[in-house]
Amino acid sequence: MEMESQLVQLCIDSACSSRESIKRWRMQRRSLERLPPQLAGALVRRLIQRHLLSPSLLEVFKYCVEEMDLRDETYVDAEWMAYLGGFRYLRCLNIAGCQRITSSAIWPLSGMSHLKELDLSRCVKFNDSGIRHLLSISTLEKLYLSETRLTAAGVSLLASLSNLSFLDLGGLPVTDQALGSLQVLSKLQYLDLWGSKVSDNGVAVLEKFPQLCHLNLAWTSVSLLPNFTSLEYLNMSNCNINSVFQYHGDKPCLVELRIAGITFANEAVIFENIEKHFLSLLDASKSPFSRFGFLSFMVGLEYLDLSSTGLGDESMEQIAIIGTNLRDLNLSNTRVSSAGVRILAGCVPNLKNLSLSHTAIDDFAICFLSMMPALKAIDLSHTSIKGFIQKEGDGSDQIFSLTTLQVQPLEKLNLESTLIEDDSLVPLAKLHGLSQLSLRNGSLTDISLHLLSSLPDLKTLSFRDIVLTNAGLNSFKPPETLEVLDIRGCWLLTVEAILSFHKRHPRVEVRHELIPALPSENDSSMHASPSRVTLKSKQVIGQTPENLHLSPAFIDQRLKYDREKLLALRYSSLSLILKDGGNISEMLLQ
Amino acid sequence: MRKEDTVKLISAEGFEFVIDKRAAMVSQTIRNMLTSPGSFAETQLGEVRFPEISTTILEKICQYFYWSLQYASGKETEFHIEPELTLELMMAANYLHT
Repeated sequence: MEMESQLVQLCIDSACSSRESIKRWRMQRRSLERLPPQLAGALVRRLIQRHLLSPSLLEVFKYCVEEMDLRDETYVDAEWMAYLGGFRYLRCLNIAGCQRITSSAIWPLSGMSHLKELDLSRCVKFNDSGIRHLLSISTLEKLYLSETRLTAAGVSLLASLSNLSFLDLGGLPVTDQALGSLQVLSKLQYLDLWGSKVSDNGVAVLEKFPQLCHLNLAWTSVSLLPNFTSLEYLNMSNCNINSVFQYHGDKPCLVELRIAGITFANEAVIFENIEKHFLSLLDASKSPFSRFGFLSFMVGLEYLDLSSTGLGDESMEQIAIIGTNLRDLNLSNTRVSSAGVRILAGCVPNLKNLSLSHTAIDDFAICFLSMMPALKAIDLSHTSIKGFIQKEGDGSDQIFSLTTLQVQPLEKLNLESTLIEDDSLVPLAKLHGLSQLSLRNGSLTDISLHLLSSLPDLKTLSFRDIVLTNAGLNSFKPPETLEVLDIRGCWLLTVEAILSFHKRHPRVEVRHELIPALPSENDSSMHASPSRVTLKSKQVIGQTPENLHLSPAFIDQRLKYDREKLLALRYSSLSLILKDGGNISEMLLQ
Repeated sequence: MRKEDTVKLISAEGFEFVIDKRAAMVSQTIRNMLTSPGSFAETQLGEVRFPEISTTILEKICQYFYWSLQYASGKETEFHIEPELTLELMMAANYLHT
């Protein structure tokens, strides 16, 4: 999506500022017809965001809109479809998660002449009878039907949509037989069958799709690893892999292989039938691997997830050998210790993200991390890191281990649930570029928060379950850049202290159990986020001052009393009502 | 102001707006027209015709050019756009890359 110019943005702002302003342009039919699709698209997106689009307004965009994204807008119903069916040049329609869309609501779409992409995922009222309406849209190339109420019979009907290249049938009860009837779809490149009833017999059918390169068979009973030449992306997570499909052709040049949570009899079977050096992504997490010899020759790997496997220091050499191109490496929840990290150091020049959470590492590991020059995000949570290393000899001399991180272009650091104490955080204060920091540790106090105020680029600070006092929060001067302060679980704080902090620093979004979400000032000027506003809450906003934050103790008076009682209250003195709502007036003041 | 420092923008109806060259350069499209090598009529005469843009809209565009210069120099005022102009102005802005 290219950025609109500034004046275009200003125009859209003005056009969508209120219902009144819409009235002043909606009749300009000739201009609307000439509106270039990307401008019309941007205008419609803003109207949707601001909940200003209604079916009747939709009609004015009939000739200019090519893409319409109404995903998860739950109010979208058959009336909307009636207007959308008349959109002459609509190329792409997304109504995923629109729960009011039934099979018959789709009827106006039948016969559309330009529609290439349709997303009906999670439309839980869409079933086999709706498929008939789709069959007349012969231009369809991409169709998303996952988690609808389609059955195998309905899926078989899709065979007549001969231009399909992308088909998402995730979570549908697709059988081998239904898959067989789809064989005529010779242009199919992407097929998602997660959670379907496809079995090993179905794999033989899959071989007949000449262009199939992206295949998802996660959560199925398939036990044969497909290995057709055209395959590039394969997901078999949570399957039980027994052997490899007997295929007499070249080995596939897989680029991505996801086999998280699989079970297998023999790991050699999985890897000996693919061209290893093409692989760029391998997710083998949560699988019972204990030997990692299969990693050899995977020199192209950029993303490797071995979390929750039997990985230990003895296998680290195998990762180090293929480490040159690695960018993401997840080793969390394994037996890896600092000795293992030492083997890796110096062998992963391009590594950007590294997770070592829930491992047996200690502070020596941090020293080795400084030999990974490209590291941007490090997760060291749930480890026994203390933040200092005791020098040998006399017990008084300490080295702060976090000091070594200062040489890196670090952006994100997670130190939740470690053994770090206030003193050892001192070196963090000098980390230029750090934008996200997470700490969650009962032994930290006000001193740490004070230290962190000098971090120049910090945007998100998670400072949870910490012995933070009101005075500590009060004296905290957040860095200019701070956007979010998460202090959940800081149980010593009082509502007053948090509200007064928010008042002094309105641009910081504060999160704490005692208060509902306190948005930063920037957010409230944009109006509440569209996904959270329901029609009901909008009415409430209309009646109360915009920045009113309701405390959890506040009960809507309309709920508390029935109609008669409310009428009676109307003439009673105002002070009586205020006794109940004492904290409301207090909040109104700020 | 010297003639070389100004540029003449001509609307669909033939209305002429003479504005500061610096202001007109806010538009990427006009900047390209005026600075492109070779002997384009625009470069030589310092005037650009917009047969697609009406006088009202072109006037608004010129106002925007000046506002934009001020804004860039740190003077933060609001640029008001009447809702009835938004559609046409949007298309013109899109064409002018401004």
